[in-house]
Amino acid sequence: MARRTSLPVTFVVPTIAILLVLSMVPTLYAIVIALQNRELSTPDYSWVWLSNFVDLFLDRRFLNAVWVSVKWEIVTVVATMVVAIGLGVLMFEVASPRLRNIYCLLFIIPVLLPRVSAAFVWKFAYHPLYGIATYPYRLLTGGLIFDPLSKPATALFAVASVDVWQWGLFFAVIVLKLLETLPPQPIEAARLDHAKRWQIHAYVTLPMLKAPLISLMFVKMIESLRSFDLIYVMTRGGPGVATETLDMYAFSQGFIESGKVSYASAMAVLMMIATVITFTMLWKRVQA
Amino acid sequence: MRPGRLIGKAILALAGFLAVFPLLWTALNALKNNVDIITRVPRLVFTPTWANIGYILGRDSVLTGLYNSVVACGSAVLIGIVLGLPAAYAVARYPNRWAGDIQFFVLSLRFLPPVAVAIPLMVIWLQVGLYDTLPALIITYSLLTISVIMWLAIPAFQSVPKDIEEAAFVDGYGAYSVFWRIALPVAARSLAGAVAFSFVLVWNEFLIALMLSSSNAKTLPIVASELSQQGMNVPWGILNASVVLLSLPPLLFLGVLSGFLNSVFRQKKT
Repeated sequence: MARRTSLPVTFVVPTIAILLVLSMVPTLYAIVIALQNRELSTPDYSWVWLSNFVDLFLDRRFLNAVWVSVKWEIVTVVATMVVAIGLGVLMFEVASPRLRNIYCLLFIIPVLLPRVSAAFVWKFAYHPLYGIATYPYRLLTGGLIFDPLSKPATALFAVASVDVWQWGLFFAVIVLKLLETLPPQPIEAARLDHAKRWQIHAYVTLPMLKAPLISLMFVKMIESLRSFDLIYVMTRGGPGVATETLDMYAFSQGFIESGKVSYASAMAVLMMIATVITFTMLWKRVQA
Repeated sequence: MRPGRLIGKAILALAGFLAVFPLLWTALNALKNNVDIITRVPRLVFTPTWANIGYILGRDSVLTGLYNSVVACGSAVLIGIVLGLPAAYAVARYPNRWAGDIQFFVLSLRFLPPVAVAIPLMVIWLQVGLYDTLPALIITYSLLTISVIMWLAIPAFQSVPKDIEEAAFVDGYGAYSVFWRIALPVAARSLAGAVAFSFVLVWNEFLIALMLSSSNAKTLPIVASELSQQGMNVPWGILNASVVLLSLPPLLFLGVLSGFLNSVFRQKKT
């Protein structure tokens, strides 16, 4: 359709210009603030250049937050993919078409919920005395108390379980739809060779879906960075700093504890650099 | 093979139960008096009360939050439609050497950590005097809605059969009327899915709204999370009712979005 028309210019240029302004202004300004020593309490500030960044690397709580964020990424991404592939294959194997439709509808519901809602739902459910999720434990042990959200060892996993509840179930639907798009011949051939059901999936169908599954994992890695709402509502980074991810720590430095906006911004800039570099590289590899 | 299938079905049924039960339980708790919630053994049989829901709907802060959420999300989605759909169409139908870069740029906006956007924007809005106002929130959310709608609408426009558009050109339609009268209506169903998705995304957004509002422009998620910070003084039934109110709008789009998913994967097949 190589027609001479002004349409591409009038349609694309304003939108991209607005997107550029809306994204570049805050991004560049984040860097500017990070090089200053602004605080919320006073309008005065001066330039301190890189000293915020130097302070960050000497800040044990920051290093802890980096480690918690890395743990969070790994736990949520791996668990989501395992749940998604497991349930997706199960639906493909044992559910009738009608049941598949019902499950697909049910499995999309958690991901549509605002994360704040999901966090509340499970915060109630995990309540040690009155929660519905801890009830079976109370019942079996005759009333012992289990409080997953207030133990450093379990808090991260308890919050991660909510993330997997939302995304793992949703991705199971996508895995099923991907399996349904595969041509039936290779599966038939493997069946004629007396392959077991799990072997068919491990050696035939899932390798065929390698590219979309990697893209799916990529999407989950990006979404896992947005863990703030869950953690803010469920644990506030606690107990102690056991679930304090980078965005949670940046928020509490900038707003709750001290109002050190510049310090928080330095943290945000480091996160931005790390994620943009990582994901640009990953994306180019996925596309290649 | 039989016992294996049975176990598989049982696991699926359990997963389906886990998917909806916590939410149903919350909805049930919204109808309970506090004595029926604070029990060691969960109660299924109780006398329902409308007090929690009535209390939530009667509170000014909740109604203001609801109003703010509707206005901010509605306007941002509208801006996303007006700016995002035409741009997506142009990228899909008039690809040039920048098309790949444009697509990557739009996607890369999703990599930006929300904190990294929210902190500088807060300082900027404070300086121009728009902090804690709906316009500031709408402009910030537009970045989200434009990029998401564009990202999802490009493949939707690409899947419109080219022949239809060619035929329209032959009939003497101009480039703009082909967009208006052919591409938009034909792709309408997929586009509705993209728009619904962007709405759910900003409706559920929390961090940016938290940082850009202090009293006037609070959206519903912020109001709901504040209710809980009053600790155990707030009856749990009220909290549960606010969670239900917050969750209802995105769930209204369940049908549209699952249809959208189906259509995305049906295209892949052909």
